Amino acid sequence: MSTSTPDSLLADWRAHALKLESEVNKVVIGQQRPIRLITIAIFARGHVLLEGDVGVGKTTLLRAFTRGIGGGYERVEGTIDLMPNDLVYHTYLGEDGRPHVDAGPLLRQGERLAVFFFNEINRARPQVHSLLLRVMAERTLTAFNKEHHFPHMLVFADRNQVEKEETFEIPSAARDRFMMEIPIAVPDDEAVMESLVFDTRYHDVDRLIENVQADILHFDRLNGIGLAIQEQVQASPALRKYALKLWLATQNPSAYGVQLDDVDMSRLVLSGSSPRGMSMMLRAARVNAWLNGRAAVLPEDIHAVFHATLAHRLVFSPVYEMRRTELARELLTHIIKTIAAP
Amino acid sequence: MKRLLCLMLLCCTTMAQAEIIENDPRIKIRTIEPARDVGYTVGDVLTRTVILEAPSNLVLFDTSIPIAGSDKKRRGKGSGIELRKVEFEKHPGATSNRYVLRLSYQVFTTSVTAKPAALPAEYVKFGGKNEKSFEFRIPSWNFRISPLAVFGSVVVERDMSDFHGPWLLDDTFNRHVLHFLLILCAISLLGLLYVHGTHSWLPRMGGPFARAYRDLKKIPATAEGLAQAVARLHRAIEATAGNSVFSTTELIERKPAFVPIRADLERFFALSRAVFFDPSASPGIEHPMDWLKTFCRRCRDCERGLK
Repeated sequence: MSTSTPDSLLADWRAHALKLESEVNKVVIGQQRPIRLITIAIFARGHVLLEGDVGVGKTTLLRAFTRGIGGGYERVEGTIDLMPNDLVYHTYLGEDGRPHVDAGPLLRQGERLAVFFFNEINRARPQVHSLLLRVMAERTLTAFNKEHHFPHMLVFADRNQVEKEETFEIPSAARDRFMMEIPIAVPDDEAVMESLVFDTRYHDVDRLIENVQADILHFDRLNGIGLAIQEQVQASPALRKYALKLWLATQNPSAYGVQLDDVDMSRLVLSGSSPRGMSMMLRAARVNAWLNGRAAVLPEDIHAVFHATLAHRLVFSPVYEMRRTELARELLTHIIKTIAAP
Repeated sequence: MKRLLCLMLLCCTTMAQAEIIENDPRIKIRTIEPARDVGYTVGDVLTRTVILEAPSNLVLFDTSIPIAGSDKKRRGKGSGIELRKVEFEKHPGATSNRYVLRLSYQVFTTSVTAKPAALPAEYVKFGGKNEKSFEFRIPSWNFRISPLAVFGSVVVERDMSDFHGPWLLDDTFNRHVLHFLLILCAISLLGLLYVHGTHSWLPRMGGPFARAYRDLKKIPATAEGLAQAVARLHRAIEATAGNSVFSTTELIERKPAFVPIRADLERFFALSRAVFFDPSASPGIEHPMDWLKTFCRRCRDCERGLK
C-alpha cells in the first residue's frame, strides 16, 4: 500500500476503499447508498448516527465494515438504567470469591478500537450521552487515574425513531458531533427482500460476515489517509461560494426563496447548520470526490452528502419537531433545487 | 311682324358697326382675361392683360393710361370694382409698337345672392405726327360676384352647380371614435401577444435561451468572458427547468424537448465543471466561446420546438 507520491498513494487507497465497499455490498444487499455513506464517513473520520427500524441489518453492516477495516469492534445496548461507568468498566465476583474489575466496552480494545457501536442511543440517559460525546469529540477518556486514547475510533450510534417511550431525545449539541445521520431502510427491491428472507446465506450472521475479506484497510492508517484526501482534493472559489450560500440558506431559507407547503417558513428553522456541520459536510464531499476519482469537489459531491451531513443538525420550532425527519429532507431538497452553482 | 324683326336686326347691326367704328382699325387689341368668370367674393383680385398693337406713327399717350385707385361710378354710386394696380410696358418695333397693359382690379362689393359685375371699359389715347389724337376703348369684361355664405335654406338637389364638389357630411366624431377603437384594438392585440408569448412579442420567442444568445454575442472571448458565458447559460437552463440544474438528466426529465441535444448538454456540463470547479478536467472543446454560441443556438431551437 505504501507508495512514493501522494497521488499514487491516494489512487491505491481508493482501490482499497472501493474493494471494501464491494465486499460489504456482497453481504449486506440492497443498501448501496448507506454503504457508500459509511465508506465516506470512514475516510472523512466522522462519527455516524444510524437511523432505522429493528432488524434491518445495522449491526451486520457495521460488523462487515469492521472486518474489512480491521481493528477492534465494540457494541453496547442503550437502556434506561445504563450508566456512564458501564461503558468504562464492570465489576464481578470471580471464581476465587473476590471482587474483580474488568475494562468495559470502551477500554477493552484499547487503542485498537476502530468501531464503537451504540445501539439505541436514545434509550440511554443524558449522563451516558455526555460521556460518549466527550469520547467522540476528544477520542480520550480518563479512567483509573489514566488517560486512555482512542485515535482510530469511530462511533456508530443507532436510534429507533418509531418508539418514543422510555427514550431520551439526543440534544442538538450532541447530534452535531455526528458527521452523518444515515437512514437504514428495508430494501424496496422485491428480489432483494426475497433473498433476505429465503436465502439461508443470510440466516447466520457470523458465517455471513466471514465472507468479507479481512483487513482490506489498515485501521491505524486511516487517519493519515483521511488527512491526505483533505489536502489533495481541492475546492474551487466557485464551489466555496456555493457551499457558503447553502449554509446561509439552512439558516434563513425564506431569504433564499425556499418555501415548503403548509409550513410557516419564518418559524420553521430555529438554528441552521453549525460551522462544524459545514466543515464536516465539506470533508465528506471531498472524500466523495476522491472515491469518484476526481481531484476537485463538484456540487454533485456536496449533494451526495448534503442530507446525511446536515439534516440532523437543523433545529426546528417545537411545533414542527415531530415532523423533523420529513421536513428536514424536504427543506434540504428545496435548498439544493433553489441555490444555483455557479 | 317680319318687317319689324328685320328693322330691329338692322338697327342692332348698325349700332354694332358704329361701336367698331369708334375704335381705330389700325390698332389691334388682344386681351387675356381671368381664368373663370364666377365665384368671386369681396377682396378677390382679378387681373386682365391688354395687348395693343399700333403702327409706328401712332403713339399711346402715357397720360391716358388708367390710374390706380379709380372706381367707375354709375349714377353717382361706386361699382365696387376698384383698379388696384397698373403695369405698363412698351415694346417698339420696326413697323409697329406693342403696348402691354396689366390691370389688376379688386372686388369691394358683395351680395347675399350671386350678382353680375364687370371689369369696366377703359380708354387710352393715341396720337402722332400729322395725326389727330383719338381715344381707343378697351372693352369691359363681365363676371359674377358670389355671396360669402349661403343665404337662407339651401335645397341641395336644386343646387346643381358643377363649380363645387359634393356636399360632405361632418364625420369628425366618427373619425375620433374610429381612432379610439383602433388604438384600443392595437393595445389589446399587443397584450394578447405578450401574454401568450410568455412575456415575448410572439409565442415561443424571447425565451431564456433566446435572451442568453443575445447576451452571449456581447461577451468577449476571454477567460473571464468564458466564465461569464457559462454562468449565463446556467441561468438560462435554470429558468427553463424552474430550479437549479446540475446534470443533463435533471433538465431532460423536466424538459424532454432537449433530448436531441443530450450529447451537447453533457459537454456543456463538463465545460462548466472545468471552468468553475475542476481546472484539471478537459472538456475537449477547442474554441469554447464559439462552441457555447452554437450550443446556445441549438438550445434556443429546442426551446422553440424546432428540433
